[in-house]
Amino acid sequence: MVDEAKKKEVLEKMRNGVIQYDEDACKEGAQEALDLGMDANEAIFDGLVSGMEEVGRLFEAQEYFVPEILMCADALYAGLDILKPHCQQMDIGLKGAVVIGTVEGDVHDIGKNLVKMMFDVAGFNVYDLGRDVPLDKFVEEQLKTDSDLVCLSAMMTTSMVGMPKIIEKIKEKNPDCMIMIGGAPTSKELADKWGADGYAEDASNALKEAIKMVSFLKKLRDEKAGKK
Amino acid sequence: MKTRPLKELLQREGATLVGVGDVTQALTSELIHLNRGIAIALNRGLSSDTNDQLERLQKLAEVWLKERGYRSFSIPPDSDRRKDKLITKLYHLVSHKTAATCSGLGWIGKNGLIINNTYGSKMSWATVLTDAPLHPDTPVSGSQCGECDLCVRHCPSGAVKGYHWSMVDPRQELVAYDKCRSLKTKRHGFAEKPNCGFCVTICPFSRSRHKQKHG
Ligand code: B12
Ligand code: SF4
Ligand code: SF4
Repeated sequence: MVDEAKKKEVLEKMRNGVIQYDEDACKEGAQEALDLGMDANEAIFDGLVSGMEEVGRLFEAQEYFVPEILMCADALYAGLDILKPHCQQMDIGLKGAVVIGTVEGDVHDIGKNLVKMMFDVAGFNVYDLGRDVPLDKFVEEQLKTDSDLVCLSAMMTTSMVGMPKIIEKIKEKNPDCMIMIGGAPTSKELADKWGADGYAEDASNALKEAIKMVSFLKKLRDEKAGKK
Repeated sequence: MKTRPLKELLQREGATLVGVGDVTQALTSELIHLNRGIAIALNRGLSSDTNDQLERLQKLAEVWLKERGYRSFSIPPDSDRRKDKLITKLYHLVSHKTAATCSGLGWIGKNGLIINNTYGSKMSWATVLTDAPLHPDTPVSGSQCGECDLCVRHCPSGAVKGYHWSMVDPRQELVAYDKCRSLKTKRHGFAEKPNCGFCVTICPFSRSRHKQKHG
């Protein structure tokens, strides 16, 4: 059993490490979390990511500006590098293939990378297109890889408007592929309105949704095969 | 806010020169809140780990500022070679020359390098930007190259154009860097190293120091 007080202290250390853009503190905290036998996923989301959420708040309050934000993100990644290899591989008895990327005009990829990480952990085949990805690239990549899912991330109201265009094109070329969207300005309502098949508000829910979608597709395919 | 304690700390820890400049004029909107530039210089050739030493000094400055509730942003000595992090993308917005000239530690010679009165251009520089309201030093008023044109005449690639630098137009290009670089590619000896560096060694300000040291 992990000592609760100690655990809280380590989470707090990582959280503060991100907020105060202290890479060393994040690295130490991450290592301590592992030494304590804490769950790596929990350390990432309750420690590092919770710090980044506070950073977002500080940015909005105009206490932090671009250089601080970048240094905070570097600190988050420093901790993530240590924790990521220890994320428990889940055996969900299902192999999905996913294309993921942040849409054109948008360079925010911290959230997208976290979602990607969850997919990696679940043993999905992930094709990461990176950030500021031209809209057509998603369509091409989906066709090339015949992926089950396409996941679109956007963090800006100005960039998310590219999403419906991608969704429309993909559905036209390959109606059997499912699309999930996410990122702070998006919502379940927008997903429905734009014809996306799913939405999730954070990385762990993104994985849950994805598992649902992939199993649904699998069932569909099995049924089709059965009819023949 | 007094700068002496910080300067003394860094000098005690090995910095050859430390200055604080008001760099407001040179900053873009991303960095405008960090309007003091701390210039830290090490006498080159002291050791081969000059960059590590400079980064250690930067860390000390960061900690000193943080303890007092201020934020900082360090631009490492080899900022142009760093690509590994997100923050590295902002490095090109700040030049070490800015903090050095704004803090009065040197002017930009015809050779395009920071020239300090005592040490010439044989120095390695690092910058720490901060929002601490440090009392700034007096900026350098202009070039002290005067009539000298040694670096212009001796540059093997004819890259040094011979212009006088001034605070009024600090971005005027003094050296044709493409020519300087082309020499580097021609003589593969320099492939992984800095260029020939005649413009450094020929400079009387770099040499006077040399003479002093060796009697
Ligand atoms: C970090 C950051 C940056 C960094 C990005 C670094 C990087 N590599 O990502 C930098 C400094 C580069 C940056 C730049 C800019 N930014 Co910015 N930035 C932020 C900030 C502070 C935090 C974002 C973040 O990473 N959050 C943490 C992660 C973990 O959360 P997340 O991204 O939401 O991801 C989670 C979920 O959304 C979900 N999710 C994410 N993607 C997906 C995808 C799928 C498929 C699913 C299912 C789920 C999912 O799961 C994730 C994990 O749980 C926000 C403010 C905020 N509070 O959000 C502004 C913000 C996003 N930026 C903003 C702006 C305007 C800009 C700039 C124009 C500069 C400026 N003037 O501020 C540029 C734009 C550059 C561009 N063209 O893209 C605005 C956007 C406004 C708008 N509505 O359009 C925000 C909201 C700030 C604000 N209040 O104005 N920014
Ligand atoms: S390094 Fe050599 S080639 Fe380049 S400017 Fe100086 S003297 Fe000229
Ligand atoms: S060699 Fe002469 S002209 Fe060139 S930088 Fe030195 S002092 Fe200035």
